[in-house]
Formats: sequence, C-alpha cells, structure tokens
Amino acid sequence: MKLSSFIRQLSRGSFCLLLCAALLFGCKRDEAKVYQIPKEASPPSQPASEETAQPEMGSPPPATTMSLPRFKYQLPEGWQEKPPSEMRIASFTVLGSNGQSADVSVVPLPIVGRDLELVNMWRSQVQLPATSDPDAVKQAEPVAIGTEQGRLFDFVSEQPMIGKSRQRIQVAMLTRGTMSWFFKVTGEDSFVTSQKENFLQFLKSVSFGENSPVQIVAAPATQNENADSVWKVPADWQSVPPSEFLVAKFLIQNGDAKAEVNVSQLAGEGGGLAANVNRWRGQLGLPAADETESSKSISTFDIPNGQATLVDLTGTDSKTRKPARLIGAIVPQNGQTWFYKLMGDEQIVAQQKDAFTKFIQSANYANAH
Amino acid sequence: MRMLIDRSIKIFTSLRLTVILLAFAILLVFIGTLAQVDEGLYNAQARYFRQWIIFGFDLFGRKIPFLLPGGYLIGTMLLLNLVAAHIYRFQLSVKKIGIQLVHAGVILLLVGQLTTDMLAHESQMHFAEGETKSYSESPRNYELAFPTDSGTGREKVVALPGRLLAHGGEIQNENLPFTIRVKSFWKNSEPQFRAPMMQNDPPLTTNGVATSFDFHPVAETKNPDEKNIPTALIEIVTANGSLGNWVISGWATDDEMVETLRQSYGQQLGAQMSRKIIDQLMRPQFIETSGKQFIFTLRPERIYHPFSLTLLKATHTVYEGTDIPKDFRSRVRLQNPQTGENREVEISMNHPLRYAGLTFYQYQMDAGEAAAQAGRAPSSVLQVVRNPSWLTPYIGCALVAAGLVTQFMFHLVGFISKRKVK
Repeated sequence: MKLSSFIRQLSRGSFCLLLCAALLFGCKRDEAKVYQIPKEASPPSQPASEETAQPEMGSPPPATTMSLPRFKYQLPEGWQEKPPSEMRIASFTVLGSNGQSADVSVVPLPIVGRDLELVNMWRSQVQLPATSDPDAVKQAEPVAIGTEQGRLFDFVSEQPMIGKSRQRIQVAMLTRGTMSWFFKVTGEDSFVTSQKENFLQFLKSVSFGENSPVQIVAAPATQNENADSVWKVPADWQSVPPSEFLVAKFLIQNGDAKAEVNVSQLAGEGGGLAANVNRWRGQLGLPAADETESSKSISTFDIPNGQATLVDLTGTDSKTRKPARLIGAIVPQNGQTWFYKLMGDEQIVAQQKDAFTKFIQSANYANAH
Repeated sequence: MRMLIDRSIKIFTSLRLTVILLAFAILLVFIGTLAQVDEGLYNAQARYFRQWIIFGFDLFGRKIPFLLPGGYLIGTMLLLNLVAAHIYRFQLSVKKIGIQLVHAGVILLLVGQLTTDMLAHESQMHFAEGETKSYSESPRNYELAFPTDSGTGREKVVALPGRLLAHGGEIQNENLPFTIRVKSFWKNSEPQFRAPMMQNDPPLTTNGVATSFDFHPVAETKNPDEKNIPTALIEIVTANGSLGNWVISGWATDDEMVETLRQSYGQQLGAQMSRKIIDQLMRPQFIETSGKQFIFTLRPERIYHPFSLTLLKATHTVYEGTDIPKDFRSRVRLQNPQTGENREVEISMNHPLRYAGLTFYQYQMDAGEAAAQAGRAPSSVLQVVRNPSWLTPYIGCALVAAGLVTQFMFHLVGFISKRKVK
C-alpha cells in the first residue's frame, strides 16, 4: 500500500474513532451535582481548657457558624424590619409619630449562667453603675416568649443621655439548652414604655422551627465596658458600642452639633505616621500630602511613658459633607500603636481638644485587653 | 466491503502505523514538556496530553498552526494497533509465548494509563487535630454550592462546577428556584480588606462579603506549587426579579488560603484584628426565596465519602538541630456507620491508608514546634487518591518482564542445545 493511501485510510479510521470516543466520554464534566448529606455540625472547638471554656466578656471571641432553630415571629404594627447584622439574627426599627424611634434586636448567644455580668452590661449601656448585688438578676419579671417563659429586664438611665431624653432598655431573655436568646428594645424612655404592649405581643408570637446554620459571634462586643478602667473618660462623653474594628467609641453632642472619639489599636507601627496622616486627610477630603506638608499639621505631647504624635486637620467630612476638624493622636505602646481620633463639628472639637489629650494621657494600657 | 475490511486490518495491524504513532508521541512529549515552562504543568497536560486533536501549539513563544494528534488519540490508536496486530498475528505456540506475554503487558500498560486518566481522581483532606471530615476537596477545581435544609437533620446540596461560572452567561438548575447570572469571573484573584478607616473605592456590590473586601483579578499562575483562587460577581434572579448582586470567592472557603490571609493580616495588624477581618471574610452569604434559605459559597469541589476520618494527632518531627523533616505522621480515627467500623489508623509518609477504593497518603503537615510557636493548631493534609486501575502498571510490567525472560530463555536453551549437538 502506498504511503498516501495509507494516510488517507488512517485519517478515516481516526475520525470514526474520535466520534466513538466523543460519544463514550461525552461532556459530562459540567453537570451539577445534587446530593443529600447529614447537616454539618458547627466547626470543631479547640480542646477546652479552663481559660478557653467560656468566652471572656470583655473581648469578642471569633464568629462561628452555629446551628440554630429557624426563628419566626409576627411583626407588630409600625415595626419595620431591618437587615440582620453583626450578632443579630433579626433587627427592627420602631418609628413614633413625633420622630421618636426605638431599635429592636434579636441575638442568640452561647451564654448561660452569667446573668449578673449581663445585667451590668445593660446597666452600663444606660449609664447606671455596676452592681455586685446578686439579687439584681431576680428583679426581672416573667414574660411569655412564644410558648416558653423568659425573663424581662428593664433599665432606664438616671440622666438624659441623647438629647434631653433618658434612655430605656428592655431585654427579654430566654435560655434554651446551651443558648440564650436576647430580645432587646432600646430607645427614648417614654417611647420604649409606649411600645411595651407591642413588644410583649411580639415576644408571644415568637416560635422556633428546625435548625439551620447561622453565623454569630460567641459574646457581645462590649469593649467599651472596661473603658473606665483604661481611661478617665470625660463626663460629657457618651460611651457607645464600638464597631468591630474599634476598641472604644464615644459620642460628644451639643444640640445638633456632634463629634466622635474613636480608639483603635494595631500591631507594630500600624502602617506608620505618613500613611495614617494621609488616611485622616482623606477622611476630610484633603489630598495626600508629602512629608514636608504633613509636618505642618503634626506636633507632639507628653504621655506618661513617652511622647505621642498629634495631628490637627480641618476640612470637609467626606461622609456628611459638612465642615469638620480632626484631631488624631498616635501612641506607640509596647510594640503596638494606639490611634485616637476626635472628629466632628469644628466648635466641639476645639472645645474638647484639652479633654481629648488628657483622656489619652490618662490611659492605663495594662488594663486594656 | 471485504476489501474495506482487508484494508482496515492491514492498516491497524501495520508496523508502519506503530512507527508513525511513536514518532508523533515523541514529538508530543517534546512539545508538551517545553510548553510546561510557559503554560504550567496542568494547563500543558490538559492542552496536549488530554486531547484528541491539537489545533496548533506554542513553541519557544511562537504560535505554530499545525494539526497534531493529541495524547488520547495517539494512545488509543497505539492500543488498537497493538490489539489488532496481536489478534491478527496470534499463533498459539509455546515458542511465541514470550512475545505474547510482552504484547499483553504493553496492552495492559496502555489500557491502564487510559483508565487511570478517565477514572482516577485526586483530592485532599485538610483537618486540624480534633476535626472530623467526611469529604475531601479538589486542590484545583471549585464549585458553587447551595446547601439547603431538607429537614430531619440532613441538607440537600446543589453543587455547580466552577467551569460553568467561567463560561459566563446564565446558569439554571431544576433544583434551584432562581437563575444565576454571572457578571464577572476571574480565574485568579486577590482580596483586599476594605478597612473602615480607609478611603475605599465603591464596593463591587453592596451585599455580603463585598462590603468588607475588594477583589481584584490577577494573572493566572502557571506554577504548580501555587493556586489560582477564583472570584465571581453574580446576580441572583427569581421570577419576581433580582435578589441582588453578590461576590463569591474561593478566598473565603479555601482553608489553606484563609490561613495564609490570617497570618498575613496577623503580621501587619495583630492577631486580634486579623481574626476580626477573617471573620468578615468567612461570614456566610445567603438569600431567601420560595420560603427557603439558600446559603451559597464558592468552595473547593467536594467529594463526600460514606465514612469519616478524625485527626487525633498530627506529628511532625525533624532531625535534631535541623529543620529537615524526619517524620510526618497522622493518627486518625476511621468511622463508617454503614459497616460499624470504628478504629484508629496511623498514616505516615510511606504507609498510606487504603480503604473503600481510596488511598490516603500523608501529604502536608503543620504541626510540631513551628506551628506551636506560631500559635496554630496542629493540622494535617492527606492526599486522597481514587485509582481503580492502580494495579495495572505493576501487572503490565510483570507480564513484559516475564515475556522477555521467557523469550530469552527459549533462545538460550535452544542455543545451548544446538551447541551440545555439535
């Protein structure tokens, strides 16, 4: 057989072979897989030790996916649903006719038998002093939560906190197995009181279904709780829950004008002076500056164990688009860097500058987590 | 017809075909090996060896438009050629038994290679001490998984291969009450934390992980020791309209990558901040529709097994005074509810566990002093290999060896006998 004829025949054979192969091993690789598996358990815990068996109240433990019963409820009239966030598996806003509002949250946490700590946490949120009286937990009244019985705690601030109003917190707590469920209403005293019937009705409508995976953190973020043991906090600074990446947060308000104090902490130099000055400049809508330009806004002041760097900038708040002033302080401490930021209305910031530096100087970092 | 059959027999039994195929095989190995430099090991394997026909190839950075038979075609033709020749020229005689054995051995080698390629599957099982796994994960492929509660303590999983995302467009599945619209897909990507104190660009979308992380496409890695981590921007659409855009990324689900990020952020920002950032990355994303909650995640492709392994102890010892590994060893508990088995097994570098058609090799280890100093829980990675034809190369080689020895012995005995006669 000639070579050309051989190759022709070979090509024909190969073509047939390809066709068969394509049929045999056809494109099955892109098909979806559908299967049933036993529901995945929560991530394995590290071997428990005395230190790790219970979460520390002052430091937020890591978030974890937990299997929780699906939670159902009926929404009282006037309540608006908000997207769940952070630890909340449900969140609502209640708006009053006079512009009043209250916040309602539902948070499940693996905390059992630490009632006094919780009571003190809620007391601190309405600026009531902590109590060591074990009877404080017995003051809760029984409340129907679905078909089960929980306890209702009620706290009201002694002094006006935001604006001219006193703040009230009502928390219904239900323990189911190793989990406690917290249903909490926060807002102006009179408004929260007026919503009590709705709140009780909401609690009664609650039902728990089958378990489904939900990610929660193991304990509430209560870093501000120990703020008093770290700093001397000026009396007119209102402690507010810090966001996840802050150690502490305070609100200073005077009528409509307000300013915020944020405290954060990073390992090492936290990016260095120049980067942080430019970060703050960016928050005031100022362009990034070189070292010479930056140095004009930088000074230093003494703190007990050395010196802190102070940055003073004026510009426009990039979020509110209002004129704003920012005083930032960078404090290196034991291989870490603490960042303090006072930012807001120019007048308030000017008034609070001394209090801010004294606040920084008062820090006792040994008590900080 | 008769002539056609005769011609086909002639072609498929011809030695000329064998020589041509072997010549192509040499050329293919040459081109495929060189291509690994630019295209990486896995891409070159897929493009040259796991192909029937190659339409053009790259050599020394130049595109050469040349039609070549791929590895599958060459292997299959060689197999057919060998089988046909074996049958056509088969003579049942004691003298030819060596040749027959050699042929049978080579056929077995070729068949074994083909079945290995078609049926073998490699995956990995990552676990920390105390952790139990009943699935292993693909080291390279990802899937978009939707686990939903199906009641009675079980969940139904719909897993769409990552390749579907790479194709783009819309993905529908009869088990999902919505359509997935792929808006962007990056085969390899990098995450960047959107620190709240930073001035960030607008997020890719305002849902889920995208509010905490930006993801950027990066060039596909060709290095077999590195991984491509995909990220996609998808829109979930029901009959009632869009449920929004979401970013899904392998960075949030791949244990190895999560640990890399945790360490990286830990060095830059401290352990506490790093933990918070990673929590944001791993927070599950879900939508609710048709009265059901659908969690969705782009994760390494999973292969579930009807048994589980629990890592009891990971041991990593080094030669004293050096960092040179002396021993990697994983003590695991094997539990199979179907057979009632519950026993401990030791897996070490040269002592794999063979169970249920799978072989578990000790692959990687993060234990010992280095892990303890870095504050990491001891963990181990097992390479899980399913290869139903793993014995064929051994049997094939044994047949070839036996055939050669037999053939040689026949000649030797014949030669010696002839000498004695003389």
